[in-house]
Amino acid sequence: MRRVAVIGVGVTKFGKHERTSSELFAEAAADALADAEISADRVQALYYGNVVGSETEHQLHTGPQAASILGIPAIPTTRFEAACASSHAAFRHAVMEVGAGVSDVVLVGGAERVLNVATPDSTEYFAYASDAVWEQTLGLTFPGVFALIARAHMQKYGTTEEQMAAVAVKNHKHGALNPKAQFQKEITLEQVLKSAYVADPLKLYDCCPFTDGGAAVVLASEEVARKSRRPVWVLASAAASDWMLLGDKRDLSRVPATERAAALAYKQAGLAPTDVDVVELHDCFTIAEIVATEGLGLFEPGAGGRAAEKGMTSLGGRVPVNPSGGLKAKGHPIGATGAAQIAEIVTQLRGDAGPRQVNRARTGLTHTLGGNTATVLVSLFGRG
Amino acid sequence: MAEPALTLRHFFERARAGQLTAVRCRECGELAIPPKELCPACYERAWEPVPLGGEGTIASYTVIRVAPRAFMADAPYAVAAVKLREGVSILGRIVDLPLERLAVGLAVRFRPIVRDSQTAIGFGPA
Repeated sequence: MRRVAVIGVGVTKFGKHERTSSELFAEAAADALADAEISADRVQALYYGNVVGSETEHQLHTGPQAASILGIPAIPTTRFEAACASSHAAFRHAVMEVGAGVSDVVLVGGAERVLNVATPDSTEYFAYASDAVWEQTLGLTFPGVFALIARAHMQKYGTTEEQMAAVAVKNHKHGALNPKAQFQKEITLEQVLKSAYVADPLKLYDCCPFTDGGAAVVLASEEVARKSRRPVWVLASAAASDWMLLGDKRDLSRVPATERAAALAYKQAGLAPTDVDVVELHDCFTIAEIVATEGLGLFEPGAGGRAAEKGMTSLGGRVPVNPSGGLKAKGHPIGATGAAQIAEIVTQLRGDAGPRQVNRARTGLTHTLGGNTATVLVSLFGRG
Repeated sequence: MAEPALTLRHFFERARAGQLTAVRCRECGELAIPPKELCPACYERAWEPVPLGGEGTIASYTVIRVAPRAFMADAPYAVAAVKLREGVSILGRIVDLPLERLAVGLAVRFRPIVRDSQTAIGFGPA
């Protein structure tokens, strides 16, 4: 495979928008092209993530719609649906297209609009990513899925609600430093612990919000990237899956797809977890961050809760996790999330992150999870 | 190729009548619920249906308080991961058990939840 680099990134403000998802993507994509200092006519393909467009916008075929609104209708477009990991799945395939020599410049991104519908409706639409026959019929929700994981983790390792709350406090602290974040205010441990239960043992402040937003990155071959201003190299991009049904998993306290995708990514890059300086990972719920830090090998299984509580994953800690504020505070427009995480890591590795900059960040990791932990993508990035 | 040993329709017809059913691989003995086309242990395609006792223990559970629109009237309600006596696990809705009695390790028994034409997996007191 040829070397591939990210040469431009763009992210909209996350939160509530009055624009369609394709409009939000187009803003992010135009920003990414401007950041790359590359003309739109150089783009040879679009790999696009969008999840609940059918439900919230009555819209299928969002790939060409997004390219059309951006103003480059003629290129091939492909929409990826891998639940919350959609645009990270799109990214991996775009890396393969550029790496294989099929294209030199490819646009990757995603967008989602959900705040135009009521919470019981968005809760239902998101639940479509669990199994219709075996899980949706039980009234299982996504907070419910991660609550089952949380209780299993608490039972096996003694993880506490205070440790989960520490993740929320940390990510809000980081989000307060990110002008694009949906929530730019700090919260206290007490606020988290006193918030209402959504799905026991998860409370409101353990959950990421519903979010509208778009994100895009421009991928380029080595030849194009060498002529660009500040390329960040893709060192690895790996995917793994697991049983669709939560009931088929042997141990609910772990996410095997994260462990598999991470092992593949570290092998592709020739790196170890200790080489990673900064991480953007899938904290759709506080317990998801704890389990992900373990699955990525940053901490031993069962040690993720204590690590968060001790500040090891905070800015200035041993391995800063989610300096952007993560899904928890930055927000989680599901089709855009993977691309937005990549945009943050590129920003960090360029040294452009301002008050949330991780010192001496040379190697970064992104981790995105889809559905009942059935899809996971892990990518690694480097400056050199 | 012949129809699978246990289609989803057959599974839920039996479940509706109170019988939880798995499939066992005739080649390697692997037990699976719900049924799969290939055995995940040996990749053979030699399943036979086997009735399960329906008894198990709660491996994890949650009380759902913010429900999808279709389940709003039921909230709060509990969903559990249940480890069945035969060794396989399945998710089910908890019925006829006070929420405050729920605990990891609590013994429960299969109870179908029938709503119009739909049957869902439920577990009640052992």
